[in-house]
Amino acid sequence: MGTAALVEQLMSARQQLDFACELLAKPSPEALDSCSSVLEAAGHQLAEWQPTFSQQAGDAAALEEAWKLRRSFVRTARLLQGAGDFHRNWLRLRGAMTGGYTETGESAPLMHGSRISVHG
Amino acid sequence: MANLLATLVSSAGTLEAYGRVLETAQNNVANASTPGYAKQRLELYALPFDPQGGVTGGVRAGKLVTARNEFAEQAVRQQTSGMGYQQQLVDSLTVIQSNFDISGNQGIPQALNNLLQSFSAWGATPDNQAARQTVVQRATDLARSFQQSSVTLSARASDTEQQIGQTVDQVNQLVSEIQGYNHIAMQGNKADSGLNARMHAALDELSTLADVNATFQSDGTVSLMLNGETPLLLEDKQFTISSSLYQPQEPTPTNANGPANVRIQGSDGSDITSKTTGAQLGALLHLRNQILPSFIGDAYQPGDLNNMAKQLADRVNELLTSGNITDGPPAQAGVPLFTYNTSDATATAASLSVDPSVTPDQLAAISPGPPSVSNGVPLALSALASPVDDADKVKGLSFSQFYGQLAGRVGTALNDATNNQEVQQSLLSQAKEMRQQYQGVSLDEEATILMQFQRAYQATSKFLSVLDQLTENAINILR
Repeated sequence: MGTAALVEQLMSARQQLDFACELLAKPSPEALDSCSSVLEAAGHQLAEWQPTFSQQAGDAAALEEAWKLRRSFVRTARLLQGAGDFHRNWLRLRGAMTGGYTETGESAPLMHGSRISVHG
Repeated sequence: MANLLATLVSSAGTLEAYGRVLETAQNNVANASTPGYAKQRLELYALPFDPQGGVTGGVRAGKLVTARNEFAEQAVRQQTSGMGYQQQLVDSLTVIQSNFDISGNQGIPQALNNLLQSFSAWGATPDNQAARQTVVQRATDLARSFQQSSVTLSARASDTEQQIGQTVDQVNQLVSEIQGYNHIAMQGNKADSGLNARMHAALDELSTLADVNATFQSDGTVSLMLNGETPLLLEDKQFTISSSLYQPQEPTPTNANGPANVRIQGSDGSDITSKTTGAQLGALLHLRNQILPSFIGDAYQPGDLNNMAKQLADRVNELLTSGNITDGPPAQAGVPLFTYNTSDATATAASLSVDPSVTPDQLAAISPGPPSVSNGVPLALSALASPVDDADKVKGLSFSQFYGQLAGRVGTALNDATNNQEVQQSLLSQAKEMRQQYQGVSLDEEATILMQFQRAYQATSKFLSVLDQLTENAINILR
């Protein structure tokens, strides 16, 4: 495989990660489900192409694209972590506010109760 | 009778709750165009209903939605602080990077290259006066370049110190402003949504400057903690922070006269510098107390610019003094070319100069051997360009490579900060989006979303750990 083809492959994987970042910018459960599919596809592609990478070892253009891919990955990971932390911490706080703490000092699990909601 | 009373109490609670609903709706209408105002909604909770057991039901206004809103606000402020940190690093490192030229066309790299070339030309014609004169001139140019770089970096340190002082002042001013809002809230205006909006606007501004945790109290006031543990504001009592130059005494400094660090102190005088790591203030401290000292030194390190200047001056002097100016008899020994302040390791680059008493004909060219070599010293000096001997290297590198690495360090830090700034921008947008996402979502709806989110998050995390490995492999294979 030539450099151009490899760069194109890496670029294609990067575009998928960038799309995942767009989804994670508005992290609803639905967006995360779509994100999983995108990441799964990118992972399959990279795993499939990986054996051919060694043919271009030392190629500056390919390495640069690999670094860009890595940066996109880092951004994706940070966004997923950001969304995860937000929800996890709120879940913990809400659990503690509604159910107190367990014997081991953890926040109580999320309580469900009937509520009436009035919109102002 | 007891049931009747309980029912009356319950009805009163219900009426109060509905009263607050009306109040909330009125606030939304009145503040529709107030900057920083977020639409409010009041969540009502159904209370258990069991007349036989004396449980009379009714509704109660809940605090969960308010707590969630504040949690989301704090999440946005946290990312705003992160953004402030990266933005400040990018701005400051961009200025510092301009002091490190790596093209070789100016500054230290150019002067170093010229000096090494002049050694080589002198080696070809060791008795040539013009070649000797050129060596002295090039050495003078290089010493001047070191001085200039040191002065410029010290000026950056001084600028940063001023910026820290200004940022601390701004933090204190904003906290004072919020203190005023707390005072108003304590006078019974806690439900004033305009006041609440002004508080949030000030908190947003504050979070760019410092990593501050805000906790809203039931009386409508907000408590502020710097870095999560140093109080800045409790009710209407403000605790000011301050910055000052500080020369640590423990452990005993190796450079007692080296550049001092900047210290941040809480209102009780405690040193909170090491905890102040976030937002603009954290970035400025990192720059002033860590990045810049790695070049120009501090109480515990000479700094790499000084390391390089010292190593170069010492090696050139060592080679020149090991040689002879004339064979004699008696043989006349060479003299050192460079001088610098030997009493302060952090002042080497700033004080580096060519000894004005040295004349070109005092440069020793003859290596005494045996066998004696007429151009042995200039040849040894020109070998500094591509060193083999460890004595000709600085920390295992040639002088040019060492400078390249030094300059590259700033470039790498700037590159990292630029990338992190992009990521941080995405995280800030995400936090704002999540704040928006949950506005208007009922708590029941939210509970369902949270569970769905947890499931989807776990699935996505799995794929991400696979990609972590694959993207790293790609770099390692292609490297």
